[in-house]
Amino acid sequence: MSEPILKISNLHAVVAEDGTEILRGVDLGLKPGEIHAIMGPNGSGKSTLAKVLMGHPGYEATDGEVYFKGEDLLELEPDERSRQGLFLAFQYPVEIPGVSIANFLRTAVQSKNPDEELDIFEFQEKLLDRMQLLGMDPSFAERSVNDGFSGGEKKRNEILQLAMLEPDLAILDETDSGLDIDALKIVAEGVNRIREERPEMTVLLITHYQRLLNYIRPDVVHVMANGRIVRSGGPELALELEEKGYEEFREPAAAV
Amino acid sequence: MFAGVRGVRIRRVSDAGGAGGGAIPLVEARMTVTIEGVTAAIHRGAAEARAAGAPDWLRERRLRAWEVYEETPLPTTSLEEWRYTDVSKLCLDDVALLEPGAGSGEIPAEARAILEGKAAAGRVLQVGARIASVEVDPTLAAKGVVVMDLAEAAVAHRELVEPYLATRAVPAEFGKFAALNGALWTAGVFVYVPRGVRIEEPIRVARWVGEPGVAIFPRTLIVADEGSHVAYVDEFASPDFGRPVLSCGAVEVFARTGAQVQYVALQRWGKGVRHVSAQRTIAERDADLDTLVVNLGGSVARVDLEARLEGPGARSDMLGLYFAREDQHFDHNTRQDHVVPHANSDLLYKGALYDRANTVFRGLIKVYPKAQRTDAYQTNRNLLLSPDAQAVSLPNLEIEANDVRCSHGATVGHLEDEELFYLMSRGLPRPVAERLVIFGFFGEVLERLPLPGVVEELRAAIEAQLR
Repeated sequence: MSEPILKISNLHAVVAEDGTEILRGVDLGLKPGEIHAIMGPNGSGKSTLAKVLMGHPGYEATDGEVYFKGEDLLELEPDERSRQGLFLAFQYPVEIPGVSIANFLRTAVQSKNPDEELDIFEFQEKLLDRMQLLGMDPSFAERSVNDGFSGGEKKRNEILQLAMLEPDLAILDETDSGLDIDALKIVAEGVNRIREERPEMTVLLITHYQRLLNYIRPDVVHVMANGRIVRSGGPELALELEEKGYEEFREPAAAV
Repeated sequence: MFAGVRGVRIRRVSDAGGAGGGAIPLVEARMTVTIEGVTAAIHRGAAEARAAGAPDWLRERRLRAWEVYEETPLPTTSLEEWRYTDVSKLCLDDVALLEPGAGSGEIPAEARAILEGKAAAGRVLQVGARIASVEVDPTLAAKGVVVMDLAEAAVAHRELVEPYLATRAVPAEFGKFAALNGALWTAGVFVYVPRGVRIEEPIRVARWVGEPGVAIFPRTLIVADEGSHVAYVDEFASPDFGRPVLSCGAVEVFARTGAQVQYVALQRWGKGVRHVSAQRTIAERDADLDTLVVNLGGSVARVDLEARLEGPGARSDMLGLYFAREDQHFDHNTRQDHVVPHANSDLLYKGALYDRANTVFRGLIKVYPKAQRTDAYQTNRNLLLSPDAQAVSLPNLEIEANDVRCSHGATVGHLEDEELFYLMSRGLPRPVAERLVIFGFFGEVLERLPLPGVVEELRAAIEAQLR
């Protein structure tokens, strides 16, 4: 049996500003190459889990442990986590005016190997190749990062970054939100192509809806509610949730 | 010296004689009251010496400028336009005049290096108080393009210089320091582009000072005749100084009907330099007259820039970029003057500040009653990179017409946590992420400048300032 690439035990986290507890004891293990989905109602803590794993400064882990490739993830800065092989596709990608995608990616790829001068031609070739794989126009790389992008363009840009940075674990946070079905298919297809090339890449999908899972098939589905994983199962669990909704996982109002 | 008598104004004899006060002899007044801004080095005798030998019309203009200088009080911080810049920071009392004849006449290697290897249709090098060399592409000269020492041009091309020099753009009445330049300027550059002539490469001018404790008075006059096209880059450089240096400049740019002109001022003086510059651009019908003001160096910089749109269809893009650090103080005072209908001006000034630096942007869009269908915009954005840095932003509109599109906006912000987190999540260490955001911040200004070579130089200059 292979060791989990990501092992989360009893993770608690609060909003740094006001101490509100969002994660209340998350336990989760992902093995290399697996695709897991975390589903759950709005406010259950799914996106917070993604941000805490990446090291967002707005949250603070107060208890529990997270090990990524055997290392204590919570001790690392976000950039160190990235260089260790963790990737987060943002639900709301940030606009960086005046910085082209090509320049941004070149800086990111260079940061992975700070001691070696990046070969510009190799980089360009790889960028073009990745854009082709994802069916993107080369001119896209000259645009400022997410500046004035449509929702679909922002999500595709996230997938392009995923393709360039080749992480060991990719967390896709609500990558399907705000996309129509055509845009969703394009994004899902991109992820699948990357996975075809690199089946060892582990994927954690965070989504409210089942529909993304029609295009990216998970091995394991978890349900998150009130800051915990409350149920886990196979792909059929997603279908069940689609049918019944999240009603049974909502806590009674008095408990909140 | 004017210590102890600040705020005392002396009036001209003719004025003083108005209401029975003429009995006080001016000479006596001089003995007891010091004229503001007159120092051991900066005095009437110096103005007279510099006017000597000029053609009559020019000598009169210079001496008249000196009169205006004497009449005009030094601006104080009680004036709105000078609220944030105390003129004592300019160290008028501590500088000697640098004479055009001073020095060995040789051009220092550092000065020569400024323009070396840069694509240019013409090159002018100012060393200290003199124009040390002038080169112009002979094919352009054959078409009637003039690139010349302004003092020589006043003689050789009087008909092209006299109507424009210190008349409608930067007359002495523009302000105290414009008057001072009008009286004392030495290193003037004159550019004339005849009707319909298009110059592809920019004209490059470098202004160099090598010694501390001096004052220089550079001046630029550009006249782009109908339908012509010219770009001009004024670059200011020096070593760092332990004692103050004053550069008191004036810039006048005329774009005649349908002309296209780009004027760039790249201020990257060394430490200790006080940079004051009075600038006005005048765009006639259908002319494009764009400016970029860059402040990176020096200790204090004060730029007054007025874009006057005098013909329908005229358009001025006004770009500004400043990057201040340590105790640098930059003050920008701009004005977009719409006097006719159907003209367009669009201003974007962006600045970033490290350490204890402080900057001021004060901008006014002025739309006169007749200037219907004006489009005028003004945006100033500041990025504070230190808790001790301070950026003041004062955009303003005065609109006297009722059918216009005008807007103004100002922001003073910090690096956003969300932006940095996003970049760091891609593996960029925090300092690298910060640099990328700052670079991107200025990118918006640079991408609007249609001079690729100059943009590359500016990128490099910004990069050199990044930590």
